[in-house]
Amino acid sequence: MYCGKNTGRLIGALFIWLLMVPVACGPKSRSENGIRLVYWSANNQSEINLARMVVEEWNRLHPEVQVVHQPVPEGESSEEVILAAVVGKTTPDVYSNMWPGDIAFYVRAGKLLALDQFADFDSVVQDRYNPEVLEQMRSPDGHIYHLLWKTNPIMMLYNKKLFREAGFEKPPKTYSGYLQAGVRICRDLDGDGYFDRWLGVTDIRARWRDRLFDFYPLYIAASGGKTFFNRGRLNVDTTAARRVFAFFQEIFRRQYFPKLVPSGGRDLFLAEQVASRITGPWEIARLERLKPPDFEYGFAPIPVPDGQTGPFYTYGNPKSIVVFWNTKHPKQAWKFAAFLISRMSDFRLLTVASQLPYRKGLLDDPLFRPYFEKNPMMVRFARQVPFTRAEDNVPELKEIFDAISQEFEACVFYGAKSPRQAVEDMMERIRLLLPEEEKGGAAVEGE
Amino acid sequence: MKESKSGWPFVLPYGLHFAVFMAFPIAFSFVLLFHRWDVVSPMEFVGFRNIVTLFHDRLFFRALLNTGVFLLIHIPLQIVVALFLAEMLNRRIRFRGFFRAVYFMPVVVSGVVVTMLWSQIFALNNGLLNQLLGALGLPKLPWLTSPTLAMPSIAIMATWKNVGLYIVLFLVGLQSVPRHLYEAADIEGASSWQKFFHITLPMINPTLFMVVILSTIGGFSLFIEPFIMTGGGPMNSTLSAVLYIYKQAFDFYRMGYAATLGFFFALLVMGVVILQRKLVEREIAY
Repeated sequence: MYCGKNTGRLIGALFIWLLMVPVACGPKSRSENGIRLVYWSANNQSEINLARMVVEEWNRLHPEVQVVHQPVPEGESSEEVILAAVVGKTTPDVYSNMWPGDIAFYVRAGKLLALDQFADFDSVVQDRYNPEVLEQMRSPDGHIYHLLWKTNPIMMLYNKKLFREAGFEKPPKTYSGYLQAGVRICRDLDGDGYFDRWLGVTDIRARWRDRLFDFYPLYIAASGGKTFFNRGRLNVDTTAARRVFAFFQEIFRRQYFPKLVPSGGRDLFLAEQVASRITGPWEIARLERLKPPDFEYGFAPIPVPDGQTGPFYTYGNPKSIVVFWNTKHPKQAWKFAAFLISRMSDFRLLTVASQLPYRKGLLDDPLFRPYFEKNPMMVRFARQVPFTRAEDNVPELKEIFDAISQEFEACVFYGAKSPRQAVEDMMERIRLLLPEEEKGGAAVEGE
Repeated sequence: MKESKSGWPFVLPYGLHFAVFMAFPIAFSFVLLFHRWDVVSPMEFVGFRNIVTLFHDRLFFRALLNTGVFLLIHIPLQIVVALFLAEMLNRRIRFRGFFRAVYFMPVVVSGVVVTMLWSQIFALNNGLLNQLLGALGLPKLPWLTSPTLAMPSIAIMATWKNVGLYIVLFLVGLQSVPRHLYEAADIEGASSWQKFFHITLPMINPTLFMVVILSTIGGFSLFIEPFIMTGGGPMNSTLSAVLYIYKQAFDFYRMGYAATLGFFFALLVMGVVILQRKLVEREIAY
């Protein structure tokens, strides 16, 4: 028993040593030769390749500020990983895969650096963004905390053969035209009394994020490019919202979309069981890899209410670059963030990662032209870039989408409410979620 | 005194585990009851506001009701199926060991895998069950897309997943019933049903109680199935209490409110278990 004291000391010493190891091995902000920044990118291979290339270039040009690149650590989602990093104060200096819907949440907590505090901010951003995009990036406190980096404009993917067989060279642009296509496309192929081929498909679970890929793009399109807030105050175009609810309700009433809960089974679009899907350009690489021979597909603008004329807006599904609050070198981190959105880095984003920079005049720039000549499928998305909208910059965004999702489910998938009632209930729920200063006036009634 | 000190290093691992993973979270959750906290911003003291909100939260009570519906279907179904199969597997049948292993297999398979498998079985258009109904000339059923059918469908799946464990428990109970009781009953001319209701059932009462308790606690923690299969829908009909708490905590970062719901829910489960103990547990001796 004489060893008890020594054993206790030994365990104590071991415990303290274990605690100190991560601290000792953690990143240092100042390298031997100068300043050292840590940059996290998305962790898919194409963006890792891109990040390595851009960082190599930066390090060559800026030997005094060396950037270390790391892909964002694996997790259920990058949003969760970032949250854990913020809580644990292990964030990088610069991160380039931030969901703009989270910006307001982190701004409220004081975890992001205001980028417009830097003297050269205006000169950096003026070549890249239209004034209305800059306005959308602005937080209610008047500052800009993120740079919209890349965008995946949400459009309608369609099966050319199925639409051609139904008598449409291209998918119809309006709600009534789309429903008309449903009459000819939806088929009971095995004679069991149920459709086996549908006009389209969407996830019918009432999860808030699913509404970003059915209700939200169609709402932005139907409202002519509005989101839910204007200058930090609630400003929903309830007429547009009602129209979208009514359109989807009619689709499900006619059973043109299956009541489908995705279960990891086969891809109904590739199996030619659904003729269209609301999605983004990331599908191209997947379809090219998996499509059967002679499978023809294309992208078209998402449908809009009858009589509406262009330009046709949509949801941009963007990602942003941010600088975290605890960086020891804010000026250098900003310089690197600005480097990431330079014309040359945007060119690499396009050519290496096949992702569209959130940059105006993409198709007019001679630097980008050869890429689009080689990848004509991306031209349609590039044309859409100026007409995309991001999520609103409010901390309650997820709860707002949850409220929309609940009402959308009741009205559209189960026909339990009229579109008018569902939108009224949706507005009531949203107002309950918001603090007084964000509630705004009456909702906007579209024409 | 020296002797007692030397024991500390040996209990240190458990002590650390208890402190880090049990005592601290419970104490921290209790603190959260009175705060608003979104994980990244500093905590804000809100007094009893979370508790007041709870009693006005219709969706939480809907989630409790849904969990109750699940338990009402799941527990009796689980007991009947497990007891029936245990009774069968307690007899001298061929391949008894094989069947015992097969029934236990779903218990060790990941809940996520089982749920994804059953999502395909329940699928409306191409699901196995609806193909079977179609072959019999019957209409397709919206197993997961009908507010009425979705929770019973999940209860069926959960029963399939867990029944193996309860079969094993019942088998242990059945094998502990003294043979002479059945022999005496045979001499008295008792039928099989009489033997089952008057000997087997009373004698396995402790096992029955354990199965009821375990499946009640397991049922109250219903999460993976609705999270993956339905997301709580259709129209919140499969929104379980734990799923609702999870959404509040990890979708909306309302940690204080989620902790309040968690405490309330834990008290509720404890109350139900105490009630069950009074209703189910019997001391039987022959």
